[in-house]
Amino acid sequence: MLEALKLTKRFQDRVALDALDLRVEPGEIFALLGPNGAGKTTTINLFLGFLTPDSGEARVAGTSVAADPVAARRKLAYIPEMVSLYPRFSGVENLDYFSRLGGHQRRRDELYGLLEKAGLQREAAERRVGTYSKGMRQKVGIALALATGAKALLLDEPTSGLDPAASHEFSRMLKRLAGEGVAVLMATHDLFRAREDAARVGILVGGRLVAQYSAKDVKDRDLEEIYLERISA
Amino acid sequence: MILTIARKEFVDAWRDGRFRVGALLVLVLLVVAGLLARQQVERAQAERASAAELERRNWVEQGNKNSHSAGHYGVNVFKESSPLAVFDRGVEPFVGTAVFLEAHRQNQVAFLPAQDATAMRRFGELSAALALQVLVPLLVILLAFGAIAGERESGTLRQVLSLGVSPSAIVLGKALGLLASVAALLAPAAAILAWLLARAAGPGASEVWTRAGWLAAAYGAYVTLFAAISVAVSASTRNARTSLTILLTFWAVNCIVAPRLASDVVHGSLPTPKLAEFETEMQKDVQDGLDGHDSRSKQLEAFTRKTLQEHGKSRVEELPFNFQGHVMLESERLASVVFDHHFGKLWDRIQEQDRAVALCGVAAPMLALRSASMAFAGTDFAHHRRFARAAEEHRREFVRLLNEDLKYNARPGDHRYTAGRELWERLPVFQFEPPPFAFAWSEARRSVLVLLGWFAASILGLVWSATRLRAVVA
Repeated sequence: MLEALKLTKRFQDRVALDALDLRVEPGEIFALLGPNGAGKTTTINLFLGFLTPDSGEARVAGTSVAADPVAARRKLAYIPEMVSLYPRFSGVENLDYFSRLGGHQRRRDELYGLLEKAGLQREAAERRVGTYSKGMRQKVGIALALATGAKALLLDEPTSGLDPAASHEFSRMLKRLAGEGVAVLMATHDLFRAREDAARVGILVGGRLVAQYSAKDVKDRDLEEIYLERISA
Repeated sequence: MILTIARKEFVDAWRDGRFRVGALLVLVLLVVAGLLARQQVERAQAERASAAELERRNWVEQGNKNSHSAGHYGVNVFKESSPLAVFDRGVEPFVGTAVFLEAHRQNQVAFLPAQDATAMRRFGELSAALALQVLVPLLVILLAFGAIAGERESGTLRQVLSLGVSPSAIVLGKALGLLASVAALLAPAAAILAWLLARAAGPGASEVWTRAGWLAAAYGAYVTLFAAISVAVSASTRNARTSLTILLTFWAVNCIVAPRLASDVVHGSLPTPKLAEFETEMQKDVQDGLDGHDSRSKQLEAFTRKTLQEHGKSRVEELPFNFQGHVMLESERLASVVFDHHFGKLWDRIQEQDRAVALCGVAAPMLALRSASMAFAGTDFAHHRRFARAAEEHRREFVRLLNEDLKYNARPGDHRYTAGRELWERLPVFQFEPPPFAFAWSEARRSVLVLLGWFAASILGLVWSATRLRAVVA
């Protein structure tokens, strides 16, 4: 579903991503770990078509991002660290707008239903988002992924700054989406969430994917230990 | 997609308290300007009507006197305001509203409303046109500077682009939503101005509405080009602050610096004589003749010889008409040549200046719009010149009739001849037919062309900004 084929990106002389080969299958959650500047966000940006690769290719459900970024994005949902919403609109109005932009016009009661499914109650959904917490914004982001029927989900530090309860709830929703066949690529520093949620974990260092582990591998060993070992190698 | 974005922009703008306050201020200014202008125009029209009636009565009731002396008694004629002066008063406050018509002299139009005003008048006259030229672009900028740059900063642009929305849909939707917001703001003011205009239009209303239609098109193009430029700049800058700085600089250059600078540069390169110099020069040429060799006295001497020769007489008293009246007619003809030369040169120069300032619109669209606006409103100098020319033609006809009366009705050598009410009543009342729309178009077309150039360039700029739109500016 999500494929990176020898994906490479340089910023002037610095190699931000070095021949990344990666494949995230439908229904799979892949956690991409790595220190700051390792190339996690660059990977997300290349899948979104916000950056052009120097070589290699990113594909979303078979569509080359470089060849047709708009078509590739239509198959994606993207949840950044802080979901950005329009503060003078309510949660449901934001969802309605983004959903229309994603090519899905839905009735108001359907939108409320999606927000409730993402964990946002009607009363909160009717409030302007200027008052929303980060967790509530993430819920609108999840509801958007549901509304657009995305085949793949790109997450960039989604649980950073969330309290444990909100993080847990977010994790629950993520698994639910994966259970519906969505391929999830999650760039994160949150080792706990990576171990709890991901089917596979990859470690990026200096733009190179230096290791990949299955859920079973990281359950048997301490992920923090593996991570520290890999980034200091 | 474009309409979805436009609709969201429209709703977002009207939910923004800052826009609502700004919009309310602009709306109030536009309406107040329109109402004030209407009041001024109505008051001036009433004053002119009553003054014209009084003038006619004084003229008719002046009593018996020599018909040439009546020419010196003279009459005032008054200029009617264009119905569209309620929108754009143009040069009207600065060029005068009445001309004193008398024998031997072509007077300038006098009684400038600006002369009666306080020093504060120097800071400009509030008109709906000025508010649209200066304040509405400012409102557009304040609404648009963050349209895309702000979304880039807040992260919503990434969110929108991640949904597969094309950059061209984003910039066009933003521009369309912005224009819809401004149109909704201007709609009540436009309705009030249309109502004021309908009251003022009177006969010849279709001509007035044609002009009003062109005015609406010109201002529509101006506001659209400002919206397009604002969105294009917002799309091309890293953050909203940079976008605002660039747009406010453009606004200040266009609305404040360029009008003053263009006026100074054009007046410096195409100077007009001072009033006293102009009058002195003209009177000198009336006396000395235009070429300086064939003076007025010499020309009249030659004219006397030629007249006597034509009639085979040796003394003017033997001629079959009053020679004094005959000389007055010739004297007026000679003076008219001088007046046409001097006033023609002066007016041509003023129009050259106006056209040069309008062409400076290539650097600042407001200059082109201002020029087109005054031309369509019928309040530019070219329209004023038509009035001044018509008043002068009326003066010549009026003086000719008086001099002909002296020539044919006074006995030769009779210096005591007097005419009375019957003659005074025969003299026509001054009536000025404003020039047709084609005249306004011929005056406005260069400015319209410049404005269209800006319009096309701004749309191209908008499209170009879409091709370069990135979620992140490197």
